[in-house]
Amino acid sequence: MSRPFYIKQTKAGRVFDVCNVILLILFMIIVVYPFINVFAISLNEGADAIKGGIYLWPRKFTLNNYKYVLNNSDIYRSTVVSVLRTVIGTVTAVLGNALLGYIVSCQNFAGRKFMRILFLITMYFGGGLIPTYLLMTKLGLVDTLTVYWLPSIFSAYYMLLCSSYIQNIPEALFEAARVDGASELRIFGQFVLPLSKPMLACIAIYAGVGHWNSWFDVNLYSKSGTWDTLQIILYRMLNQASALKDMTDSTMLAEAMRGLQPLTIRAAITIVVVLPIIVIYPFFQKYFTSGMTMGAVKQ
Amino acid sequence: MSKKIKHWIRMFNKQRQLWLLCIPIIIWVVVFAYVPMYGLLMAFYDYMPGMAITDCAFVGLQYFKDFVMSPTFLQLLRNTLAMSILGLTIGFAAPIVYAICVNELRSKKFKTVLQTTSYLPHFISWVVAGSMIFMMLSNEGAVNDILIRIGLIDSPIPFLTEGKYYWVMYTLVNMWKGIGWSAIIYISAMSGIDETLIEAGAVDGMTRVGVVKHVVLPTILPTIVVLWIMGVGGILNAGFEQHLVLGNAATQSYWDVIDTYSYRYGIQLGYYSIGTAVGLMKSVIGVILVWASNWFCRKKLDTSIF
Repeated sequence: MSRPFYIKQTKAGRVFDVCNVILLILFMIIVVYPFINVFAISLNEGADAIKGGIYLWPRKFTLNNYKYVLNNSDIYRSTVVSVLRTVIGTVTAVLGNALLGYIVSCQNFAGRKFMRILFLITMYFGGGLIPTYLLMTKLGLVDTLTVYWLPSIFSAYYMLLCSSYIQNIPEALFEAARVDGASELRIFGQFVLPLSKPMLACIAIYAGVGHWNSWFDVNLYSKSGTWDTLQIILYRMLNQASALKDMTDSTMLAEAMRGLQPLTIRAAITIVVVLPIIVIYPFFQKYFTSGMTMGAVKQ
Repeated sequence: MSKKIKHWIRMFNKQRQLWLLCIPIIIWVVVFAYVPMYGLLMAFYDYMPGMAITDCAFVGLQYFKDFVMSPTFLQLLRNTLAMSILGLTIGFAAPIVYAICVNELRSKKFKTVLQTTSYLPHFISWVVAGSMIFMMLSNEGAVNDILIRIGLIDSPIPFLTEGKYYWVMYTLVNMWKGIGWSAIIYISAMSGIDETLIEAGAVDGMTRVGVVKHVVLPTILPTIVVLWIMGVGGILNAGFEQHLVLGNAATQSYWDVIDTYSYRYGIQLGYYSIGTAVGLMKSVIGVILVWASNWFCRKKLDTSIF
């Protein structure tokens, strides 16, 4: 909106405008700087980096950190698990919530209200951490990939988002298909899904980012380490680095000899973990606000 | 009567495909949402894994009393309230001020670039954020280095290992991650401002400050009130993942909040009933607080969320 022409520009106003721009640029720098800093550290030689003083670019350039990270079998494994989890989790969440959204949008469906209420209650009440954890243990989902995506297929919030979108598709279309003998699943697959691509993209992005970033459930359920994700590897490195700061771990010492340090390796992993988000960022940024406003008109 | 039943059966038959699709979804929601709710009962029993909850010894409110009487309770409450209040004041005001500043910008292009950039930290996990923050705030990190170079301090500030910095660090880090994202709702509310209001004001000699005071602020006031009510209701939510990432043993007496306590007792130490009781107590108080602040807003400010 800014200042419309008919509001008088004063001297104080002009000073404010300049300060405002400067402050907001400063804010932007503060937001972005940690990313640049960690990138610079990841490209620096380990022994040199721990002395500090690296700001915008590496002092002693090296690619060894990335070589170490990319050759590490644990990290390779956990990347595969992270990708698997994100792909399966996103696909199931998108299809599941779209289907649920379709069901609760069918005007004549007798169970419509029942399904809505069944899910809306879960928005306000929940069992919390420990009962959920014990349930997963009882269901035998600990140390499986299933525990990452199955409990998060449906969500009341996405249901509302989907149904508010699907309600804008003329019901007559579905009705006509029903008269022609199409099954509900077919209507869902051939009409609902193709007609609600922006909504699907929006949910895919939120669910995908959520799955990629999720680490606490991995911390809870990945006991044997088979299903460790990238995030949890980074989390353990963070915890260990603060715990082992003045310990002489033999493997760490060996790494130090090769010029590698936990600090720079951590920086490299951080970049590897955050890279997918940054890469898809320009593509999904147009969906940010659409998701927010779609959620706002939920009822 | 029988006509009605017949009608129902016919309806059901016609919609059996939809009902069929509903069955797995209903099973899912019962298992993953309602069974854990039932599991909350274990807060009142001395739960042993492998037994049915109601077969265990009933202890009533014992665990709630134990928790409130325990020596750590006051410390947990202090930490929770301190960080929540910092969040509800500074952390809450920052996105509003930021949104007003963004609204005053003239260049559309700069606005877009700024906003897109400001969302970025919202989309990274707390682990990644923590990793970056550790690098920035460590003794050899960029922040200490810059502060020393410009002569503000002589020796590095141990932001991460000394408890007294924790609350402020937590608040600032939350702001770094959230300002841009939280401001979206205000900025979109501002974009809906009726230009004729400002035109009318301009005729009466309204200044830019006046526009902010009499047009912009009243426009976003309902949003502010609603978000604040929700914030007050969540006053006992003083972060969780953040503390697991940013906190360490040296700063524990400053970051340990009700949620982390419940996690530590309930899962790490295996006292399931105690952990559940603590979590349940927190939720119940939270619900009461939301109702209370909502009631207050409806009576005094004529706005409410329900």
